[in-house]
Amino acid sequence: MSRCDSAGQKQGSDMCRLSVVLQLVCVAAVGACLPAETSADDSVVDFRTQIKPILQKYCVSCHGPDETESGFRLDFGSLLLRGGDRGAAVVPGKSAESLLYKVLISDGEVARMPEGQPPLDKSQIELIQKWIDQGAKGGAEDAPSNDGRPGSDHWAFQPILRPALPRVSRSEWCQNEIDRFVLARLDAEKLAPSGEADRATLIRRLSLDLTGVLPAPDDIADFQADQSPNAYERLVDRLLASPRYGERWGRHWLDIARYADSNGFTIDGPRSIWPYRDWVIQAINENKPFDEFVIEQLAGDLLPKATRDQIVATGFHRNTLINQEGGTDQEQFRVESIVDRINTTGAAFLGITIGCAQCHVHKYDPFTQREYYQLFALFNNCDEPNLPLPTDEQAASQARVKKELAELDKQLKEHDAALSAGQTDWEKSQLELPVAEWTLLKPTEAASEAGATLNMIDESSILVGGNGNVPAQDVFSVTAGVPDGLSGSITAVRLEALNNPLLPMKGPGWADNGNFVLSEFELSVSDGQAAGTAAAEKPQNIEFAQALTDWQQDGYPVEQTIDGNLKTGWAINGTKQSSPNVSREAIFVLKQPLKITEGTTLTFKLRHAQNSKYLIGSFRLSATNTALPDGDGARLVSTRIREILDVAADKRDDGQKELVVAAYGRSDLSRKPLEARQTKLKAEETELASAIPTTMILRERTTNSRQTHIMIRGNFLAEGALVEPNVPAVLPPLSATESPPNRLDFARWLFEPEHPLTSRVTINRFWQRFFGLGLVETENDFGTQGERPSHPELLDWLASEFMRLDWDVKALHRLIVTSATYRQSSAMRPELLKRDPRNRLLARQSRVRLEAEGVRDVALSASGLLSQKMLGPGVYPPQPKGIYVVTQVAKQWPESKGDDRYRRGLYTYFWRSSPYPMLPTFDAPDSNGTCTRRNRSNTPLQALTLANDASFIEFARGMSDRLLAAGEMSDADRIRLAFRAALSREPASAELERLTPFVASQRSYYELNEDAASEVASPNRPAKMSAAESATWTVFARILLNLDEFITRE
Amino acid sequence: MTTTISNLHAETRRHFFANAGFSIGGLGLASLLSDGQLFAAPSSDPRATNPLAPRDGHFTPKAKRVIYLFMAGGPSHLELYDDKPKLQELDGQVIPESYVKGKRFAFLKKDAKLLGTKRKFVNRGDCGTRMSECLPHIGSIADDLCLIRSMKTEVFNHGPAKLYMNTGFERFMGRPSMGAWVTYGIGSEADDLPGFVVLNSGPRGPRGGTPLWASGFLPTTYQGVPLLNGADPILNLSNPKGIDYQRQKEFISAVTDLNRQRLEQVGDPEIATRIAAYEMAYRMQSSAPELTDLSGETKETLDAYNIQDVSKPTFARNCLLARRLIERGTRFVQLYHTDWDHHGNPGTDLGKALDARCQEVDQSSAALVKDLKQRGLLEDTLVIWGGEFGRTPQGEPRDLIGRDHHIDGFSLWLAGGGVKGGQTVGATDELGYYAVDTPVHVHDLQATVLHLLGLDHLKLTYRFQGRDFRLTDIGGNVVDQILA
Repeated sequence: MSRCDSAGQKQGSDMCRLSVVLQLVCVAAVGACLPAETSADDSVVDFRTQIKPILQKYCVSCHGPDETESGFRLDFGSLLLRGGDRGAAVVPGKSAESLLYKVLISDGEVARMPEGQPPLDKSQIELIQKWIDQGAKGGAEDAPSNDGRPGSDHWAFQPILRPALPRVSRSEWCQNEIDRFVLARLDAEKLAPSGEADRATLIRRLSLDLTGVLPAPDDIADFQADQSPNAYERLVDRLLASPRYGERWGRHWLDIARYADSNGFTIDGPRSIWPYRDWVIQAINENKPFDEFVIEQLAGDLLPKATRDQIVATGFHRNTLINQEGGTDQEQFRVESIVDRINTTGAAFLGITIGCAQCHVHKYDPFTQREYYQLFALFNNCDEPNLPLPTDEQAASQARVKKELAELDKQLKEHDAALSAGQTDWEKSQLELPVAEWTLLKPTEAASEAGATLNMIDESSILVGGNGNVPAQDVFSVTAGVPDGLSGSITAVRLEALNNPLLPMKGPGWADNGNFVLSEFELSVSDGQAAGTAAAEKPQNIEFAQALTDWQQDGYPVEQTIDGNLKTGWAINGTKQSSPNVSREAIFVLKQPLKITEGTTLTFKLRHAQNSKYLIGSFRLSATNTALPDGDGARLVSTRIREILDVAADKRDDGQKELVVAAYGRSDLSRKPLEARQTKLKAEETELASAIPTTMILRERTTNSRQTHIMIRGNFLAEGALVEPNVPAVLPPLSATESPPNRLDFARWLFEPEHPLTSRVTINRFWQRFFGLGLVETENDFGTQGERPSHPELLDWLASEFMRLDWDVKALHRLIVTSATYRQSSAMRPELLKRDPRNRLLARQSRVRLEAEGVRDVALSASGLLSQKMLGPGVYPPQPKGIYVVTQVAKQWPESKGDDRYRRGLYTYFWRSSPYPMLPTFDAPDSNGTCTRRNRSNTPLQALTLANDASFIEFARGMSDRLLAAGEMSDADRIRLAFRAALSREPASAELERLTPFVASQRSYYELNEDAASEVASPNRPAKMSAAESATWTVFARILLNLDEFITRE
Repeated sequence: MTTTISNLHAETRRHFFANAGFSIGGLGLASLLSDGQLFAAPSSDPRATNPLAPRDGHFTPKAKRVIYLFMAGGPSHLELYDDKPKLQELDGQVIPESYVKGKRFAFLKKDAKLLGTKRKFVNRGDCGTRMSECLPHIGSIADDLCLIRSMKTEVFNHGPAKLYMNTGFERFMGRPSMGAWVTYGIGSEADDLPGFVVLNSGPRGPRGGTPLWASGFLPTTYQGVPLLNGADPILNLSNPKGIDYQRQKEFISAVTDLNRQRLEQVGDPEIATRIAAYEMAYRMQSSAPELTDLSGETKETLDAYNIQDVSKPTFARNCLLARRLIERGTRFVQLYHTDWDHHGNPGTDLGKALDARCQEVDQSSAALVKDLKQRGLLEDTLVIWGGEFGRTPQGEPRDLIGRDHHIDGFSLWLAGGGVKGGQTVGATDELGYYAVDTPVHVHDLQATVLHLLGLDHLKLTYRFQGRDFRLTDIGGNVVDQILA
């Protein structure tokens, strides 16, 4: 029975106005009635003649090839049956469960279709209902010839063809094929290329581009003197083979990988993933072919017989942020990290802004939301563990410790089994011992060293803190006289840690869970009778024979409060049968009973030196004169344990039983050696583990595989249709696989010969690094909104050449840097300034300011301080104070000493929330997302950094040492030496004229001002050099380090 | 200094053009420094001698400078500026479906319940504008304020929304910010401090980071310079030990001369920018410490701003620094104060957390306006107060009281140069949900701000990647009702 009555019609358009669900537009008033017999009899509905015409007429304008609302098309039966972003539209045989039918009759649950138009005629709806109920026959056979795959005539999605080399005006100018394409374009523009840069510029350019550090003056001289025809090529080969090459190009890759050493967001805790960074550097130095380089990073864990290195490589996609804030939805942030992985994958390998399709169909490029989630599915099935990377030796030690611990565990179990048999006898023996009678002490003074407030809440009890602001660690001093009624000798003292409703979890400690760690407990005594004597001024420390308690946490035995070690202590968590948040006692038996005299004053110190806020929150002290037995044979129990022992064994509750068993265990001295050995082994195990670096990796799930649904409008809570892993249809299909495609299939697909994007995008980025701008300026958007290539044929030729070279990166780099185009002078020419100020036509080279790390690296290499050390954990060069003012959590910055102070910029530890300041000042990326091109800003803050930052002054000092180490020479010659070291060239005469008097005037100033000289001079200056001379050359070196030319690749 | 920035640039230009053999009439340094189309004749462009030189806009400005108090996180209009009795009445009921059909929220579900405010509203000033008891001091300057209750934006996550408010674009980092556009358009009157300065306060750093004050594709001279809260206002501001004022002067002079020689040789305009950067850095070395030295301010002033400790990096201190900056000619000062993101967890609730934020900014914001007024600066200084969006009329089901991000209607106020005070502009519906009367889109606000500064937002453009970009993208209408 149709419910599409007139009332339903009325509620129509308003209800649906804002709807985002299936929108079927009725393009014409409903009129045509179908013959009555078709809806009345049980003849089979024919899809092609009876259903499809209705859909074509009313639905396809919004749900067809042009507009595909909700990812749903009805222009072919097969597409109708496939469903849309919200899932299946038709459940064959069940019209009531079919969304298609539900939206037609709309009962208010779902928006009615066609949207904003009158509903379909009753008979039409009944016909569709009948077709569904009959099994939706004939739909699947109605399929488009290409399965609905979109085509695109956009250039970047077309196959890479190898263009023929164009004719050019001056073939003798061309060094290789690149130049033919560049020159052909210049010919067309009637422009001439620039001449080759001089050799000094060329060696500096090549060194900076390929290795990121300056050429040594000797190498410059050699190159300038080298008359052989292949001098340039040999230089290129030498630089490509340098280990510095992997560091230089590794840093470029780390921008794309958004590498950092912390987790990001506001907490931004540290992470260990530098082994991935090292993998990148080494892979580039080894010239791992680019396809392998990428496949291992995207899916190394899935490679057959994956090596440890291949698994380390998967750290590429672990460089996503982790939100450690409390109360975050972990699934939300896991989804966020996959979103980032897809965006990064899109920008880095495909050069597409696929992220636009997270929430809706891409506005400009042929990517649907469904396709976005098909990519998502490829990345949605990973776990994200840490991989320990032990050396062989470490692994062997770990195995040994593990084995020994297992044996020990067995021994302890056997021991305990034998022991428990004796508990009853032990209890009996305890009951025969005297019970201590305690007298509460009344403190006369209570003081805190770190600033906690100590309030007396009754005559004896002290409450620590007050309003939550207690120090992290503290020492409480409490002084009390001997109370009336206590005479004779004190044999023991008692500390009770008390509950209080003002403490976290009622205490008795200040830790969030109510625990505490008492590191040391001390008692000293002064004798009133001896007041004024030396003995009174210097209180006597009392020694304890033993410490007893009613409960101690594993690893925190009460004896540790009297072991003289602040790194150990007593804590009280860990009860299994009762709450840990109850009052506890510690009893300290004196080695020698303390004779009480009139005026005897006791001073207690409670030292808390572990964790943060693990202070006792409330406590009181007592003393006893009860004579206590000593010696091993009479192991005492604490008073509270003794009170439990007075309760008949069968009347004790579980909590009491637990305490007694533990106390009995403590009385067993034969267990101690085993325990000690266990403690030692566990410490060794921890130490071993902490010495082993870990790295973050991806690992594909083999069980509990996740299913991926479209997220409606990108909302991770709004589940749409189920999707299978796949790649966008506008790109070549994935090769068929037996099982559903995974990351490895995707990674290999990137390198299929017919893939139009990977090679183009990659060589374009290489080009950008060598020329300042890519051939496609929008290096991360090859879609329709991106810029078209300046030299389309060159781009395609290079892309095809890269594949022909089997993705050999060094060979491609060699090709680019040996071109005449690359070797041109970068000087601006008047006609170019007018015609092509941004150098899109490549009639010259570009001047490019070095990247942030490069600025540091050239200063280090000019100074002679540069450390050659490679790889390893991040380092902490000196940084100005006050960097962490704006961060939520202050960061560790243990300033590096020795070699690590002078490491290349890429080894500097990178906190995402507060990077080493010179890095962002010089436009280093924030590493929150992929960065395929850096900004190059030019600001006063950069000037202040180079001029005044303590590191750069240190570099200038290093350079002065280097200059002065060259021995006696004229100022002019030393200036020449400095120019060769810093700028790789000789000074011009105008420069010498400007700087020679500068050096002289600085020298006369510093000779007269010894204090200033010694502040500026290098402490490492050559022997016999005066402070003034060192200061003079330091301030001179400082000038060179600040020149625009110094931080520029010309 | 032996050379001032202007004659340095003049010389640079002379040398450069002489050596490169260019005719000055044909091509000015201006077109090297930027290829913008704002000003017709390059040779008369003041930027030819100093990219930050003050210059006329398109018409006579009402305001000469801007102090933008940016409340990052999205302050709740419903607790602060927009009194909604109907919302109180429907407290606890599910929001009518007509409001939320097809809507997206960062965290809310569609069946979230309406949340009446716990805050009382009172009439303020002669104008009688209703404002919350949370902001008594801002209430006390109601007659100077133009309160817009019908703001609208496009994106509901913080990062994109803050980018949108500041750059007119939500997704692309690398667009120029408002302060960059303004200093590009009319330069700065400061020659020893940056033209565009950013000050941060509050429990978190500004989470959008540097893109919020970036110069984007404009020359980098126009990007905002963050002033650090601390003893040294700018990193590495002090000379190294053993290098005194005179030595530093000689150093800068030598660097400049050598850079100039290089510029003559290779003709790269970036070198001219670097020369200017060193000149500015040098001047900042003396002017920035003077700027942040508050010892000359009276106790009355410090009290008025609610500055208890001048060494503490508070919003209050930044407000006073903002006044001192504009007194010294800085064109655009932007203060970010964080943690207005009141979803309703402990520390982010509309109870204590909101109280704490209000206490941090209320008195100081009002004191700044009063102080400017008293000094005769308010008449040509534009003050803006607001966040990147507002908060939903629905409550969030969290531990404490809170609201989700809301983009369809929120409040923001303007005061000072060219703004008609003592009025409200626009209104939201009875639930405070949609801006229904005189909606003011972010681009409209941006167009109006530029208008007050004498700039036509349609003409303040920059050609980049083949397109003329502007702050207001493809939108924006000046809101006449705001204007005095």
